[in-house]
Amino acid sequence: MSSEAQLSSADDSIVSSPFDGERVKSAPLLNRLIDFVSSVRFGVVLLCILVILSIIGMLVIQQNVEGFEAFYASLTPAERIVGSYLGVFDIYHSFYYNGLLLILSLNIILASIDHFPNAWKYISKPKLDASRKWLLGQKENAVIEAPDSSTADIPNRIAEIFKKNGLRAAISEKKGKTFVFGESGRWNRLGAYIVHVFLLILFLGHFVALQTGFDADVQFVPGETTNQIEMIAFKLDQKEKFAVGLPFSITSTDIQQKLIDPKGSIEINNTMDWSTSLTIDDPEYGKTDAVVSLNNPFQYRGYRFFQASAITYGSARNMTLELTPQGGGEPITLGLARNGETTLPDGTKVAYDEFFPDFVLNNGKADSRSGEYNNPVVKLNLSKPDGEKSVAYAFAMKLPDSAPVGAPVAGYRWRLAEFEKSPFAHVLSIKYDPYNAAFIAWYVGGIGLMGALVFVFFVSHRRVWALVEENGEIVVGGITNRNHQGFKDKFAKLISDLRKI
Amino acid sequence: MQEVSRLEIDGSLRRYIPAIMALGGGFVMLFLRFQFGERFISDTALMMLALAAYILAALFQLTNLYAPSEMAQKIGLWGASLGVFFNFSSWLVRWVGAYEHELEQLVQSGNAAKPWMFRYIPFANLYDLSLAFAFGAGITTLLLAARKDFRFLTAFTLPLAALILTLARFIGGEHSNLMPILDSYWRPIHVGVASLSYGVALVCFAVAVIYLLKDKVKVEAMAVWAAIFAFSVIATISKFSVFTEFVYRSGLFLPNPMGGKNFSAPFRLAIPYVGETLVITGILLVGSIVAFLFYVYKENVKAQKFGHIFLRASFATLLLSIVFLVVGIRSTADVQTRLNDQLAASPEQFIDAGKDIAAKQRLSVQDFEAITPAQFEQAGKQYLQANGERLFLSFGTNPVELSGLITALAGLGFVILFSFRTDKIRERLPSLESLDNLMYKTACLAFAGLAMLLITGAIWANESWGRPWGFDSKETGALVAWLTYAAFLHTRISRGWSGRSSAYFAIVGFLLVIFTYLGVSYLLPGLHSYA
Repeated sequence: MSSEAQLSSADDSIVSSPFDGERVKSAPLLNRLIDFVSSVRFGVVLLCILVILSIIGMLVIQQNVEGFEAFYASLTPAERIVGSYLGVFDIYHSFYYNGLLLILSLNIILASIDHFPNAWKYISKPKLDASRKWLLGQKENAVIEAPDSSTADIPNRIAEIFKKNGLRAAISEKKGKTFVFGESGRWNRLGAYIVHVFLLILFLGHFVALQTGFDADVQFVPGETTNQIEMIAFKLDQKEKFAVGLPFSITSTDIQQKLIDPKGSIEINNTMDWSTSLTIDDPEYGKTDAVVSLNNPFQYRGYRFFQASAITYGSARNMTLELTPQGGGEPITLGLARNGETTLPDGTKVAYDEFFPDFVLNNGKADSRSGEYNNPVVKLNLSKPDGEKSVAYAFAMKLPDSAPVGAPVAGYRWRLAEFEKSPFAHVLSIKYDPYNAAFIAWYVGGIGLMGALVFVFFVSHRRVWALVEENGEIVVGGITNRNHQGFKDKFAKLISDLRKI
Repeated sequence: MQEVSRLEIDGSLRRYIPAIMALGGGFVMLFLRFQFGERFISDTALMMLALAAYILAALFQLTNLYAPSEMAQKIGLWGASLGVFFNFSSWLVRWVGAYEHELEQLVQSGNAAKPWMFRYIPFANLYDLSLAFAFGAGITTLLLAARKDFRFLTAFTLPLAALILTLARFIGGEHSNLMPILDSYWRPIHVGVASLSYGVALVCFAVAVIYLLKDKVKVEAMAVWAAIFAFSVIATISKFSVFTEFVYRSGLFLPNPMGGKNFSAPFRLAIPYVGETLVITGILLVGSIVAFLFYVYKENVKAQKFGHIFLRASFATLLLSIVFLVVGIRSTADVQTRLNDQLAASPEQFIDAGKDIAAKQRLSVQDFEAITPAQFEQAGKQYLQANGERLFLSFGTNPVELSGLITALAGLGFVILFSFRTDKIRERLPSLESLDNLMYKTACLAFAGLAMLLITGAIWANESWGRPWGFDSKETGALVAWLTYAAFLHTRISRGWSGRSSAYFAIVGFLLVIFTYLGVSYLLPGLHSYA
C-alpha cells in the first residue's frame, strides 16, 4: 500500500460502519444486526425519536406538573383512555422512553468500540511520511526552494521550527527521502470517546440513583420530632402518599424566614432565605445538629435535606413583650423565643404557648380567622413561684382597659410590642441516595463531559509533513481535523518561518 | 497569498479591537455608574441605544452587500461594536440598579442585612436573559467579524439581536425582588452559559440561512417557510381567536399590591382593527404560499409574480396590524367599560375566565369536574367585580405574541429583501465551503454551550431542589435543543451530511432554542416560570 493511500484512509477518524454506508447483505443476520445497532446512523435516528418524544412530553402536561388536574379534567373519557394507554401523561417514565435511553446507551458503547481502533491509530501509529503528490493535494501546502546553505542540516532545522510553532517533530527516512513530521493535539482524536464515556457515567449514575433512592417531603413545625417522611406517588389524577420510616429521628429546633422588609409579608417576593435548624438523634451515631437553607442542603447517611417550601401561615419566631405593672410603675420589656421560656424579676415563669396571627374568640376559645397578621396575639403560660398557674394573651394592638382579654394577669398588663415574622412550618425535601450515584453522575459525569467537550471542540489535531527533496527543496503539506481557519493562519506562519531557513 | 496571511497574523490582535473596545467600554460605563449614581444614564436607555446601533449596523452591512462600499462596511463594523458596547453597558448598569433597588428597600425597612453583590447579577428574569442573549449574539458576531470575509454576518445576526431587545422592551425591565431560590452562585454560571450559547446558536442559525441563500435555494421556497411561520403565529396568538372569531384580544394585567411583577388577569380585551387586518394578512399569506408552491414545483412564472405581490401585500397588512395593536394598547384607557361591553356580547368568556381561575387553585380532578359552567361563570363575574377597575393593558402581558408578530414581519421583510438582486448578494457572500465550516464551528460551540447549560443547571437543581433532573419543561426544552445539535454533528459523521442538510438541522436546532427561551416560559407550566 502506498503512503498516499495510507494517509487518505487514516484521515477519517471515524470510519463508517457498513450501516453508515452500504449494507453488506451477505453478512450473517446477527452481525448485520450488531452492525446496525452500533452504527452512528442508528444513533442519529434514536436521537431524533428521543427529541420527538421529549417534545410530546413538553406539550402534554405531565401528571406531576402543576396544572395537570385542570388539563386532565378538560379531557374527554376517550382522550384519557388513549393518553393513559400510550403513557403520554407520564412519558418520561414510560417503558418505551426508558427503553430508548437504554438502546441509545448501547448504541454509544457499540459505536465507540467499533470506531475506537481507527482513532487509536493516530496515537499508536502516526503517519510519518507522505508523498509529494499527496502533500501538494492538501489545501494547505507550499514548496520552499532549496536554501543556499548546506542541505545536510535541513531536517533538524525544520524540526526546530516545527517545535517553535508548537508541533511535536519527528524525523524519518523512507526510500532515500527525508521526512519531518510535526503534530499537535493528537489526543483530540480520542475526544469523542472521552465524551461518550462521561455521558455513559452520567446516564448510569442517574439510573442507579433513580433505582436505589427515593424522594420524599417532611413538614417541620418548630419543636416537633418525627422519624417518618412522606413519599408522594402520582398516578394520573390520584396522588398517593406513603409514610417512610427513618433510621433516626429529627427534631426541628428552629425555623427562620429572612425577610427583605421585616414588617412586610411572609410571601416569597419579600423573602431572602428560609433556614431550618434540625437536631438528628441517631441510635447508632448519637446527636447531630444541622442547618438547612436554600441552596445549602445537608447530607446525613445517604439522606440529603433540602429547603423546599414554607407553610405561609403567620407565626412568630422571636417576640418582645411589654409588661405594665398593674399597680403602676415603669413597664418591663421581655424577650421571648418561640417555644421558649423566661423568668420575670419576681420569679414568675413565662412560657410561650401559641401564636395567633389573626386572633378571634370562637365559642369562647382562642382561634385565628386566617393566616394573615391582622390581629397578632401570643398566648403565654405563666407560672408563679408559689405554683399558681395562669394564661395571658399579649396583643400587638392596643386594647381598651375595659376589654376582658386585656385584663391584667399575674400582676401585669401584657402587650406584644414586637415580633419577628415566621411561617408556621417549613417543608424539606429529602433525597435518599445511598450510593451517591446522583453526585457521581452529575459531578463526575457532568463536569467530565464539559471538560471533554471543551477538549474536543477547542483543541484540534494538526499535522504537518515536510518532505526534503534531494535537491534541498522542501515540500510542505498540512491537515487538521478541526478549525481550518485557525490552521490556515498557523500554517502560513510556519511557512513564513521555514522560508527563513 | 502567503504574504497576505502573514499580514493578517501580524494584525491578529488589532482586528479584535472592536470587540475589545465594546467590552472595555462597558466596564468604563460601570465605573461611571458608580461615580454618578442614579443620575447616570439608565439601563433601559442604554438598551434602546443598543437596539438602534444594531439596526444601524445591520443596515450598513446590508448596503455593503448590495452596493459594496468600504465606508459602509466600516460603519457596519463599528456600529456593531457600538451596539455590543451599549448592550453590555446596559447589562452592567442594570446590575448596580438592582443592587440599589433592594438596598433602598432594606434601608427603608430598617433591615441591616448587606447581601453580597453577586445576588444582583442581572440573570434574574426573562428581561435580563434577553439582554444577555442579545449580547451573546452581538459579541459572537463581533468576534467572527474580526475576519473581513465574515463581516457580512452583521447584516443577518444583528437584526435578530435587535428583535430580542425589542422583546425585552415589551417584557419591561422594572426591578423586582429576587426569588430566594435564585440566590446562588450557580445562577450567573448557569444563566451566563445559557445566554452565550443561545447567542452562538443564533449566529449558527443566521449562517445556515445564508448558506441556503448562497446555495441557490429559491427565495420563493424561503418565502413559503417565512409565510408558513407568519401564518402560524397569527393562527395561534390570542388563544386561536384570530381565524376562529376574526378578533385579536390582548391580555390584561392586575397590579401587584406588593410591587413587582403584575398578575395576569383571566380576561382578554379585543383591540380594534387588529383581528381584521391579521385575517387579511393570513389570506394574503395563504395566497403567496399557494402561488410560490406553484412556481417552485411547476416553474409557473405567473404564479411567481403573483406570489411576490401577495407577499408584499401581506407584509404591509401585517405592519398595519402591528401599528393598530401598539396604538390600541397605548391609547386604551377605559378598559373596564370596554371589557363589560365585550363580555355582555359574549358571556361565555366568563366561563373561560372561571376555568382559568379554578386551574390556579390546584384543585383535584374530581373537584374540578364537580364545578358547573354556571359556577365558573360566577367565579369570572366575581373576579371582574372585585378587580375590574384595576385591570389595565400593557405590552408586558403579551411579549411573546408581539415579538412573534414582529419576528414574522422581519422574516417576511428579509425574504422580500432577498428577492431583489439575489444574485448580487450571492456573489458577495463567502464560498459555500467557508460558510459550511463556519456553520459547523458555531454548531459545535452551541452544542458544547448547551451541554454546559444542562450540566450546570442539573448540579444547581441538585443543590436547591434536591434532584438534578426532573424533566421540567425548560430542562426538557434545553435537552431537546442539545439533542438536535448532537444529531446535527453525528449526521456529518454517519451520512457525511454537510451543507444544505446541515443547514436545515441548524435551523431546527435554533428554533428549539427559541422555544426553550420563550415558549417554555410563557406557554408551558414548570419550575422555570421566572425565566
